[in-house]
Amino acid sequence: MSHQLPPGFRLERKSNTEEFFINMGPQHPSTHGALRLTLRMDGETIVELVPHFGYIHRGMEKQAESMSYLQYIAMSDRQDYLTAIQNNLGVVIALEKGMNVGVPLRGEYIRVMLQELGRIASHLVFYGCFGGDLGGQTCLLFGFKEREMIHDILEEVTGSRLTTNFFRPGGSRYDVPDTFIPRVKAFLDHMEDTMKDYERFLSKNIIVLERSIGIGVLSKEDAIAYGCSGPVLRASGVNFDVRRANPYSIYDQFDFDVPVFQNGDCYDRYKIRIAEIHESMKILRQCVEKFPEGPWRSKEKPVRLPVGRYYSEIETAKGLYATYVVAATTGEKPYRIHTRGPSFPHIAAINKMAQGHKISDLVTIMATLDPVIPEIDR
Amino acid sequence: MFVPSVTHPIGDFVRDLVPRIAEYLPASIQSEDLNSVVAFLINAVICIIAVCVVNIGSAPILIYMERKVCAHVQCRLGPMRLGWHGTLQTIADVIKMLFKEVYAPSGADKLMFYLAPLIVLIAPFIVCALIPFDKNLVVADVSMGIPLIIAVNGFGVLGILLGGWSSNNKYSLLGALRSGAQMISYEISFAMILLFVVMISGSTNLMSITMGQEGTIFDWWIFKIPVLGFIAFILFFISSTAEMNRAPFDIAEAEQELTGGYHTEYNGTPFAMFYLAEYIALITNSALATTCFLGGFFPPCVGIDAIDNVLKMVPGVVWFFAKIYFMVWCYMMVRWTFVRPRVDQLMDFEWKFLLPVNLVLLVAGAAFIAIGG
Amino acid sequence: MGIINFAPKILDPIPGGKYVVNAIDYVVNWARANSIWPLTYGTSCCAIEMMSSSMARYDIARFGSEVFRSSPRQADLFILAGTITRRMAPAIQMLWEQIPGPKYVIAMGACTISGGPFIYDNYSVVRGAQNLIPVDVFVPGCPPRPEALFHGLLTLRDKILHETCRNPWHEGEPKDVSTMDRYREAAKTWAALEEMKDEQMAEARAKFKEENPDYKSAFKPIRVKKPDFPEVERVPFKRLGLTQQELFAKLRTKFPNVTVHTRGEDTPEDVVAKLPADCPLEVMLEKEDYLNVVEFVKNDPEFKMDYLIDVTAIDYDDHFDMVTMLRSLEIGHKIFLCVQLKKDFSIDEEKRPTSLLASVPSITHLYPGAEVKEREVYDMFGIKFEGHPDLRRIFLDKDFVGFPLRKDFTHPEMIRRPI
Repeated sequence: MSHQLPPGFRLERKSNTEEFFINMGPQHPSTHGALRLTLRMDGETIVELVPHFGYIHRGMEKQAESMSYLQYIAMSDRQDYLTAIQNNLGVVIALEKGMNVGVPLRGEYIRVMLQELGRIASHLVFYGCFGGDLGGQTCLLFGFKEREMIHDILEEVTGSRLTTNFFRPGGSRYDVPDTFIPRVKAFLDHMEDTMKDYERFLSKNIIVLERSIGIGVLSKEDAIAYGCSGPVLRASGVNFDVRRANPYSIYDQFDFDVPVFQNGDCYDRYKIRIAEIHESMKILRQCVEKFPEGPWRSKEKPVRLPVGRYYSEIETAKGLYATYVVAATTGEKPYRIHTRGPSFPHIAAINKMAQGHKISDLVTIMATLDPVIPEIDR
Repeated sequence: MFVPSVTHPIGDFVRDLVPRIAEYLPASIQSEDLNSVVAFLINAVICIIAVCVVNIGSAPILIYMERKVCAHVQCRLGPMRLGWHGTLQTIADVIKMLFKEVYAPSGADKLMFYLAPLIVLIAPFIVCALIPFDKNLVVADVSMGIPLIIAVNGFGVLGILLGGWSSNNKYSLLGALRSGAQMISYEISFAMILLFVVMISGSTNLMSITMGQEGTIFDWWIFKIPVLGFIAFILFFISSTAEMNRAPFDIAEAEQELTGGYHTEYNGTPFAMFYLAEYIALITNSALATTCFLGGFFPPCVGIDAIDNVLKMVPGVVWFFAKIYFMVWCYMMVRWTFVRPRVDQLMDFEWKFLLPVNLVLLVAGAAFIAIGG
Repeated sequence: MGIINFAPKILDPIPGGKYVVNAIDYVVNWARANSIWPLTYGTSCCAIEMMSSSMARYDIARFGSEVFRSSPRQADLFILAGTITRRMAPAIQMLWEQIPGPKYVIAMGACTISGGPFIYDNYSVVRGAQNLIPVDVFVPGCPPRPEALFHGLLTLRDKILHETCRNPWHEGEPKDVSTMDRYREAAKTWAALEEMKDEQMAEARAKFKEENPDYKSAFKPIRVKKPDFPEVERVPFKRLGLTQQELFAKLRTKFPNVTVHTRGEDTPEDVVAKLPADCPLEVMLEKEDYLNVVEFVKNDPEFKMDYLIDVTAIDYDDHFDMVTMLRSLEIGHKIFLCVQLKKDFSIDEEKRPTSLLASVPSITHLYPGAEVKEREVYDMFGIKFEGHPDLRRIFLDKDFVGFPLRKDFTHPEMIRRPI
């Protein structure tokens, strides 16, 4: 090792250890896409690590400047593709604030239901990746199994499995088909049983407990300081959920809990997502019961925003997703759109969590942060 | 002159046959020594072929079985297109791998790099030669069978260490070091349990260990000694899983962490050999478990004559392979069910739990024999 | 590669050797075509569909391809799942070189075929994987469904079955297709075709008119009446904590220079009073006040802005607006601090696009999370943060020229979007 450290490393070098550097990524099975981590190791123990971003930086914000507002909704699909339908809503709410249009009740119900389905789908991918990264390949398959049911529903409603591009200012592109409610009901009934299996598979497995309790602890103060959000923040004991704090859409009409755990370790981050699946199912049950008839969108207007700056924030499965739209002239094109993805601060905090742990723990921590790299790089 | 012999029906048959053929040779070169040497050589060749067939032949079957078991655990179908239910899939894989480009990474120690997969193959082949497949079907019926197995098992570690070290890759090196630490630690408890078997059976010869289990299913070592036998079997199962580097103890490969561990840099035929060694080790360990605990080639008699007579009509070698495949199935189910522990937890498990339990087991076994006879 | 390439040379002269070569061909091709092990590699959306294809519903294992190897040395197939950026390109080339031959490449999704949604106004996306490595099969879609990937896999299988010892697998060469503006090319070709068709049809049209002078088209466009949707009033979302007026008044008593964006004659107070409940207060600061204001709102018990949402910037002709978004987790109100940074016009006009034009104090010591965000602003706008511990480029290579989110940014690879 040369006496000069590579860029990004800050800790002073101790003289009595043989340290070496390992490069993890951009092609590595457990970096969840194109993330690269440089690890400074002492044996199997991580001394310090530096994340390198930008391997999937696609310049979406630059492109957005020459796009119309509606085209940017399609771009938001490709940021966090696991919660594409939720990102759509984030952009659309910002546009609605500018256009000052509202959504009829049925439209709001469609929004909430698809949001929660998307949340369950994303958490199921988390479940799979968490198990898979711990070495239980079977979990990966289990997580994706029920996710396919959600994709069937999404495909029927939006016409697309992954990149939905569904919501529009004032409502959505289409009404839901008649089969929507029965399908969601069937899915909920099926999921209720399956969740028991899922939890039996991982939640009390002694090896999972050993490998996740006390690993990657993110204290409450650190979680706030780094700007973490969503399940990662709530696992550290902060009760913050945009659905509760600033209820967008009609989230204030539903009865659901915001699960909060105190320890901030990997196991809590796992448990909180399982609990959130249950809460989402609770919301979906209420939606299914009360799903109203009536118009599903408000009057169509051209998407032209008056001069100003518009901000929206929603709670996706990963956390706080904020959209900041700057309109310098009244027109169809934005002057600038900025997106704040939830995964960015999580990866920024990974050094804090992984220091002093083993390389295997880093994999666990990565899995429980559940990052989506294109959303970081945009 | 030292003329070793190979004892099994085929061996005797060859020994009879060789002098009879030798009579046709000119009298000047006929001799007793030559006959026995030739007979020995022919026997040796037959034995080598037999071991190779059993080992290499069963590897594709096991790989196919693994893929199918894994698929069905995961609610999938597994290979379906090639042959009936994908039976030819592994054959295609093997042929493809044989015709792949082979190269070593720059900076690798080439000799060691290519030698390592061969060394890994040694241990399972030698162990296979010691296993009695039927009453008269054993390649080398050595009296010090168990100590030989314990000794030979060390080769596996050597191969993996060499392979990881010579790859000139940090991931490989980490994987190799992990596997070295793991296999050396688990070898201790592996040996301890085999010693327990030696103690209760009173012999180090695998054939006599098997013969000691003749009778009903309750005469097998797993059931013959109440509770202790079963505990020993479970411990053997755990430590042999770790010994083989199979999931959940596959920290040496740890695909999610080390992208393949010690065989990260291997491709084509050398990689196929590592793959092969893994599955041959599976066969030999299952065979060892069968011999030491599950009554070897004896049928699972229950003590009722009508049933037992039917069971005894089936040849012993069939029973033996049935038991082997049952064990293999158990190993596979475990592999696809559990998640992987961390490297230090694995060590803790061995040194703080498995080894003490083993020692207690040994003492308890000795006490049982001393008291109960 | 190896023995199989020499087989025809050795065996063909021997009588009957040709049949042996054919037999080898058959067996080896059969094995290669049916045992394709992909590399675990994915960058974005397509990777999820690639994962889905190996899961229970679709099950790529039926074709014998479920053995996803994470080491390129044991793989045969390189599924390029997801957008390829210029920064990733060397890694992809290296991975491809590490796969032992015969190796095959499937370009999955629109991004790897042509750049997909990222063709225009883009400075970082490689337009098509062909620029980097030879591609065997293209699978269109954004992202393609798993069935489409299977079709690609089976197409590749057919391709492999046509290889022989005499016509063996070879590496192939990457093709440079990046500079082509496909949309405009296609539009040109289309126009030319239309013209040709028009010329061909002119005669027939004239003839028809001659024969039927009284002809009138019976075609009537059918108008589908759009359903009548009601106008719905937007209900602002619930707000927690202090109102915007209270926040603004409190901030103004401490820092009198603070204003808001005003247009026309409105006073700042009027503007703030008109804000809807869910619109966060955005105040304008002087650069000198910035650090003090941030420190004040973080520590003041009435503000308690302990949570940094984001730091971003907006480029205008002569200044940057740097926006720091803060939120109080405990109380629930939000405040956006907008700092106007005048561009440093003392720099030569030629050097301006590549040099840092403004500087602002860093708030990393107050919000550790700001570190990466400030690096992003530095990377995209070229704003210097004084006191930042590790000010490097974050998304782009360190030798990248220019700052992409400035309005005057140009890049040689950028194609303007046709309107």
